[in-house]
Parts: sequence; structure tokens; C-alpha cells
Amino acid sequence: MPKWSMVIDLEKCVACQACSIACRFENNTPVVSPELAWEGREMRWNDVFPAPHEESGDYPNTKTHYLTRPCMHCENPPCIKVCPVQATFIDEEGLVRQNYARCIGCRYCTVACPYGVRYFNWFAPEFESPLEQHLNPDKIEGRGDLEGPAVRPKGVVEKCTYCVHRLRKAHARAEAEGRDFRPDEYMPACVQTCTGKARFFGDMNDPDSTVSRLAESDRAFRLLEEVGTHPKTIYLQEGK
Amino acid sequence: MAHFTRRQFLKISGATAGVAAVAGAVPGLTRRSSTIEAATPQFQTSGEDVIVPTVCLLCPSGCGMLARVADGRVVKMEGSPMHPINLGALCPKGQASLELLYNPDRLKNPLRRSGERGSGQWREITWDEAITEVAQRLNDLRQAGHPEQAALLYGETRGQLRSFFDRFMQAVGSPNAISKDSLNVEAAKLATYYTQGIYNFPNYDLENSNYILSFGANLLEAGPWVQRTVAGQSYMRRGRATRGKIVVIDPRQGITGAKADEWIPIVPGTDAALALGMAHVLIKAGLIDFEFVHEYGFGFEDFSTDGVKHKGFKNFVLENYDPRKVEKITGVPATTISRLTGEFAKNQPGVAMLAGKGGMLNGSIGGLYAGMAVHMLNALVGNIDKPGGVQTQRYMPCTSWPELSSDPVAEAGRQQQRLDGAGSEYPLARHAYQAVADHVLNGASVDTLFLTGANPVFEAPGGQRFIDAFSKIPFIVSFASFMDDSAQYADLVLPEPTFLERWQDDHIEGIGYPGIALRQPVIEPLYNTMNTADFFLRVAQTMGGPVAAAFPWGSYEEVLQYRLQNIGTDWDTLKELGVWMVPGYHPARRGNERWVQEVVGSDRLSAPRDGRFDFYARELSCALDALSPEQLAALGLSVTGDAVYLPHYEAPPYQGDANDYPLHLNVITLMSLGPVSAAANMPTLMEISGMTVGETWRGWVEMNPETARKHFLQKDDEVVVESPFGRVQTRLKIVPGLRPDTVNMPYNFGHTAGGRYAKNRGANGLTVMSGQTEPATGLAAFTNTRVRVRKA
Repeated sequence: MPKWSMVIDLEKCVACQACSIACRFENNTPVVSPELAWEGREMRWNDVFPAPHEESGDYPNTKTHYLTRPCMHCENPPCIKVCPVQATFIDEEGLVRQNYARCIGCRYCTVACPYGVRYFNWFAPEFESPLEQHLNPDKIEGRGDLEGPAVRPKGVVEKCTYCVHRLRKAHARAEAEGRDFRPDEYMPACVQTCTGKARFFGDMNDPDSTVSRLAESDRAFRLLEEVGTHPKTIYLQEGK
Repeated sequence: MAHFTRRQFLKISGATAGVAAVAGAVPGLTRRSSTIEAATPQFQTSGEDVIVPTVCLLCPSGCGMLARVADGRVVKMEGSPMHPINLGALCPKGQASLELLYNPDRLKNPLRRSGERGSGQWREITWDEAITEVAQRLNDLRQAGHPEQAALLYGETRGQLRSFFDRFMQAVGSPNAISKDSLNVEAAKLATYYTQGIYNFPNYDLENSNYILSFGANLLEAGPWVQRTVAGQSYMRRGRATRGKIVVIDPRQGITGAKADEWIPIVPGTDAALALGMAHVLIKAGLIDFEFVHEYGFGFEDFSTDGVKHKGFKNFVLENYDPRKVEKITGVPATTISRLTGEFAKNQPGVAMLAGKGGMLNGSIGGLYAGMAVHMLNALVGNIDKPGGVQTQRYMPCTSWPELSSDPVAEAGRQQQRLDGAGSEYPLARHAYQAVADHVLNGASVDTLFLTGANPVFEAPGGQRFIDAFSKIPFIVSFASFMDDSAQYADLVLPEPTFLERWQDDHIEGIGYPGIALRQPVIEPLYNTMNTADFFLRVAQTMGGPVAAAFPWGSYEEVLQYRLQNIGTDWDTLKELGVWMVPGYHPARRGNERWVQEVVGSDRLSAPRDGRFDFYARELSCALDALSPEQLAALGLSVTGDAVYLPHYEAPPYQGDANDYPLHLNVITLMSLGPVSAAANMPTLMEISGMTVGETWRGWVEMNPETARKHFLQKDDEVVVESPFGRVQTRLKIVPGLRPDTVNMPYNFGHTAGGRYAKNRGANGLTVMSGQTEPATGLAAFTNTRVRVRKA
């Protein structure tokens, strides 16, 4: 059973935001109104921003550091523990997922998550016609599950899934072609589009995979390691 | 169908674009109904999934894209792994391009003005009416003997389109096919032309380079091929064993400077002095490539022609650009200049990069000299056409256009002076887009003006004067996908399909070796639109006579098939792959035949095409030699004699008194909104535009914290940015990585039209800029406006 992990090399990241927008068009996250955006209610599962408190030094010896932030897919996710209805769960492949059909919109998880990567639908998403034409038709349904890119209703929390529907799709294709699924058949949209080739994705259980090797790097670190969440999204430090 | 790889999957689906139901043949990928009750979670997707290759047009990179068309709707764009510029990557603009295609403000039918100009009253007409009207108008002009009164302003024209437009205007009989190059890359192109003798933007082999001196070249945000420089810097950093160093010389740090190893905040407009100071160190320390400068350079040493002694580059630089003197001009310490120069010379191959759009080189004739000085650094260390150095872009051979038939009316028209003054009033200019407004206001007669990919009211500095100029032009036709800032003043607004719905080719540029990429309609056009090239074809055919004879093709697709018949592949393969190239860049051997034909000197019009790189610009000497000292002074030159033909520092002619207007205004291009004005109407891009400063949906002005403190200004204050030419209101953002004497405003805000997401969002910094045209080169003066900022 693979354990999925992402490695982001901040040295190669150029803060272009392609990951944010690839995610938007893959996962149908809506554009919110300017007024909501000014309140900080944008829905981008993978956001890019200047790292807080890291802008150091006075002119001209100053430098801004940028961070790109998908879900950390923690091995010990705080969001799961607080969910009163088990709407959010970690699956056997290590993906922290969200069952929209179960979610009651209590937003405990958005508070519990130390990374701020859970997004609440305060309003039903709107796509001014004909913008809805570009929505990704992929979805996962069944047994009460409602996941993947299908547009979420008002009142539920949504989050990065490492594009779990792409995993399902790759499995379905392998099955249709009568062969085994290979881990390299699956990568999230943000990894595929990365302009600086800064993102790597793969199976952490395979010691020879790129992500396993990079995770051993002395540049590797995890966000807020001290809080004990054990993220599977791993960063490589800049300038070392 | 049992076994195929993803690659084959992509290929098959591309080959059968619009027909095959690839996914439909695969159980488990098909559409199911009532699966809620199924025992296990069920993955569902479209019934039919097709992948169609195409090329992006939201910046000049021209990245290859793969469009996923699901049940006839385009639902996702990915980077094409086969396109050499982006190699599978795609920036946020490309990802969001579906918001251009499915934009609610698209123009759907041809429109004719029914009220006053600019009143916003239109009535729908048919394409036949539009074609007849335009053809009649042009025929009338030809009959009156004044075909030169038709003019075409064009923006980003890819592949064959530029020569197609030029040919159309030539066939009609007008010299006025005017490119907006003078707003961005022209300074760099001219700089390369007057030194290396190639009229093009140089390529840089970043992958094999060890050192980058970026003179305002905004590697990671904007530039002629930003995706190419992003990939290059990423590879330089971590893609290979040795890590290259990047030095960013720019008044603004930006993302490029933040990611670089060193940021040099230079005094705006003094790049020429810095580059020449570096040349001084190179020469004095003996770090130059002696073989190159002597055997393949011209004018490095003093020389004499016909008994007249001329000063060479070496002595000129040694006399005038001691780093201690340069320090006073540029604000860069002499020790830093010496250290950087030593690093540059000792870590070859390395490149000194020119700015395209987004630099602070443009603005005066000093911009041309700055470009020449920067480019000469590459020549001094001898890395012209070397791995890791400067490459010359090679192109696929296109079948020549057929000869135009004899046509006295058109021939006479083509001999007339150009409307923009390029080549006459502005002796060094190829294009002077922004000057069209001034010439029209000064009485130049234009009867019919075509705008395609051009939105001069918005994108030219001081562009609002185009509105007055338009009122003097009887008939204006705008080709646009949106009712943009300029189209709203037109008489005919003709809806153009977006780049995802039309045929257009692309010369792949930025990689050195030749290649063609192809845009094709990934779906049937959504609305009653017509490709602008097809419109001109039909106008030509309706006009009849020699104009019709010049265009014997049925459609623009046929034009492309004709022009691309000898590139080494057939049309169907090109459509299937979306890209065709001859990979591998092969540097020419110094001095041999290919060197002379492709690398140095081949574009020179007057100076010898002898394969010598000019340190003393002979081509410039041919162009300016006949001018008197007064005439030279009128071109903005403070020097006479040999110095005119040698790169030197000219102080920028700033507009606005330094005491009243203490700050330099720099309008920056963002990775998110990019250089194409229609991108401002894509809501996702608006949303992410202000990432670096924590802003969204509205523009801003960036200021150094110390300057803000002196002005008693704080973050998010509403401020007025004021110049002698106007004022705009916007929000203040504090940015430590910025010179205290410079403020930045992002481009692509402050539209007065163009759709619901673009209109009235933020302020357009270009409106407070001087609309002047640089008198020698015809470049727009982007960087010589001073402003003051005060609380609103």
C-alpha cells in the first residue's frame, strides 16, 4: 500500500502561483467576490504567500521568503480528532480526506488545523455563466461519500485532497487496461504544472522513490514540526 | 486498446481530436447513473475525453498546452511535455485561460456603432456587412490615390501573423503596419542590432551558464520568455551538480531579486554606467577574450579610416568609466562593481541579460546605449554563440510569400512616410506605436485604423491621448474578444475568437533552435466570431484586383499550410503533436560561413556584414553620420564625435522637477496578470494578483518603508500618485525590497472597459506617465516620469 507524500523545494519555487490555479481548475474551487476576498475568504486549497515574520533586514539587506502551502496530509492530523461526525478521515494510503456528505459545517477542523488549509463554504459557489462550462466533471460518489472536484454545497468544509480523483482515475485506467497500477501514474495537478519543477510527488513507502530520497536531505523540514502532526508534505529549505 | 501508456494515450487522443471517445472505451471511466447506491465509492468522469494540443497566448513565452475537452467542454489546461519552452509546466495565466474562453463578457457578434463615439450604443451586424464595408472603404482610399491613409496597429503577432498583416497592408498600399514593440522589447532588439547586427532579442543558454548578471531582466515574473527563464534558473540552481549564481540589478527586488543570490538596487536609468564600469574592470584586469575582441570584434582598439582617427571602445571606457566614477552615478559601490565583474569573468560561461518588458532600460536614447553596453559585456568575455552564453534564435524555413503583382497605386502608397514617424522623424526606429496618437493630433491624416491585439488607450504611457486622436480618425475597426478600453471608441467592433478557438502558428523562441508550434481550435468557436486573419483574407477577396490576387488562399489555415509546407513534417502530424522542431542548438564556429550568416552581422542594412561584433557601432554611424551637432542634440545626445557610436551613459531626461516630484515611477508586469490587457478580465488572475503585497482585486503602489515614514504614510493608506501629467488614486503597500527613491505600480489595473472583472479595479499607472516618444529610437518613455505620493 503506497503512502503518498509531496516534497516542495523552496529553492526552485518561484512563487508564480501556478499550483494555486492548477488546483482551482482541477478541483473546481470558486472565485469569491472581491468583497469576500478582501476579508480573506478566498478558496484556494494551495495558497502562495510571503512567509510571515520572515521578511528580515533593512533596505538594501532585505529578503522576502515565499511559501506555497497545500494540505500537509499529516500522519497525525488534528482535524480528524475534533470532527464530531467523522466527516474528515485519513485513508489507508495516508490521504486526509473530507466527506462532504457527512460534514455538518461546525468548522472545528478549520480551527484545529494549525496550517490553515481548511476552507469553509460560507456561500454556495457561484460561477457566472458561462464560466461553469469549465468545471471539471470528475467526481467520486457512493456510500455517502461525495468527494473530488464536484462543486461543494454551502456549509461544508473543503480541502486539498492531493487530487484523490486522479488516483482513482489512474486506478480505473490500469484496471481497464488489465495491468497493475504504478505509483508514477498519479500526481496532483499542482505537481504537474509547477513552473520551477519544484514539486515532487510519490510513494513514501518506497525507499527508492524521489520523495523518499529527498525527505532524507539535510535541507528537508516540515512546517510546525514541533506540534507533532507529522506532515507528509515536506519542504526543502531555500539557500542552503 | 488493451495496453497503452499515458504517452500513447495522449498521442491517440490528440490525433483524433474531436472524434474519438478514448475514455468512453474504457470501462470504469464511463459515465454511470445512480451510483450513489453502489457498494463501493465510484469514480465518475466525462463520457468522452479528448486531449488537444495548442499554444498559450497570454504572454510572449508561447507555452505549449494540452486542452482536456470533456464532452465538448474545455475543462483543464496542462502544459505540453513536448513543447521545449515549458516542458509540461504551465503558469497561472495558462491554467486560468479557460476564464478567457468561457468569460461572460465575450463579444458574440460583429457590432456597428449606433450612437456617438464612446457612447456604448451598438447594433449587431453580419460579417458580410462588415467585410463589404471595410473592403469598400479600402477600395475608395485606393481609388482616391491615398491607400497610405489606412493603418494597422498590432500587438502580439505570433508566427506568420506579423508578415501576413504586413503583406495585407502592402497589398493595399500602406506602409503603416505598426507594432507595439516600441512599448517593450524594442530597446533590447535595437541594442542587439547595433552591436551584434542581429535584429532580435538574444537567447541565453541558462542551463549551461554559471553566472547571470540580470540588468532589469525580470527572470521570474515577466520578460520575453518568462517560463523559459524560470526553467533556466531552476535548473541552474538544483538541476545540476554545480550551482550557478544569479545577480539581479534592478531598483526593485521583486520575486526575481528575492530568489537571487544578490540584489543590486541600482539608481534607476543608470544601467549603462554600471555595465561600462564593469567593462572597465574587465579590460583593465585583462579578463577579456582577446581573440574575440580583436579577430571578431570591430572598434575595440582605436582605428582610423581614410586617414581620420577614431576612438575605440577600450580607450573610451578606460578614460570615462572608472568604477569610482561609476559608483557616483549608479550608487553601486566600486568594490561591488569590481567584485561582481571578477566573479562574472571567472565563472564563465555567464551572461549579462537584457531586459525585455519589465526592465528600467527603456525611456531615452540612453536606454539604447544601456542595452548595447550590457550586451557588450557578453562579447568582451567572448561568449557570443557559445554553450552557456548568448545564442541567436534560429527559425524554421517558411515558404516565401508569392511576389505581389504590379500595382502602381499600392507602390506609390507604400513609398509614403509612415504614420508613426519610424525611420523618418525617429531615425533609428522600426516602430513607434505610441507616437501614432501625437501624429494624428498634429494633423497626419488617417482614414481607416485597424486595431488588432492592440489596446493603445490602456497600454501606452499617457494612452488617454489616443481617445482625442481617435476623434480625428473617421473610421476605426477594432478586433477584440472583449469591449476593451480602445474598442469602445471604434466604429466597428469585430469579435475575435480567443486563442483556444482559432488557427495560429508560433515560431518557438527563447530556446535557440528552430521550432513551430500550432494553435488550433480546441473546440468549435463559441460565438459568431472570425479569426482576424480570415477577415482580412475575405476583405482582400472582396476588394478584387491586385489585392485579391495577393491572397489566393481560402482560409488562414490554408495560409499556414502554405507557409509551413517545408518545415519537415506534414500538417496532420503538426496538428497531432502541436509542435515540431529541430532540437539541438549548434553554435557556429567563429568567423565561418554560419557565423556570418546567422550569428553576427547578418541583419545589418548599411554596415558591412563581416561577422564582426561592433564595439564601435558602424550601423549607428551609417544612420547618424550625416546629422549636425544640433540635430544630434535634438535626439537627446549630450556628446558628439566618436562617443555617439560608442555606448555611453546619458542621464535620463526626467519629466517633473526633482523637488516637486521626488520619486521614480516604475510600472511593473506581474506573473499573474501578465502583459496582455484582456487577462485583467479573468477573475482568478485578479484574485491572485497582489500575492506579494497581500492585496487582491485592486491595484496598489509599492513604497520603501523609510520613504513612507518620511511621507507620514502607512500601509493600506489611500494615496494619490501625481505627476505633471495627471494623478491616480490607489492604495499604499510597504515593500522593503525597493529603493527609497522609486515607487512601483502593477500593470493591468485601472481599465475603463474590458469586462466586469477588469473595469474600474485599481489605477493604471501609465496614465500619469509622459506620453513622449524617445526622439532617436521611437521607444515609448516608460521610465522617465517622476511622481509624488500623498495621502488622498
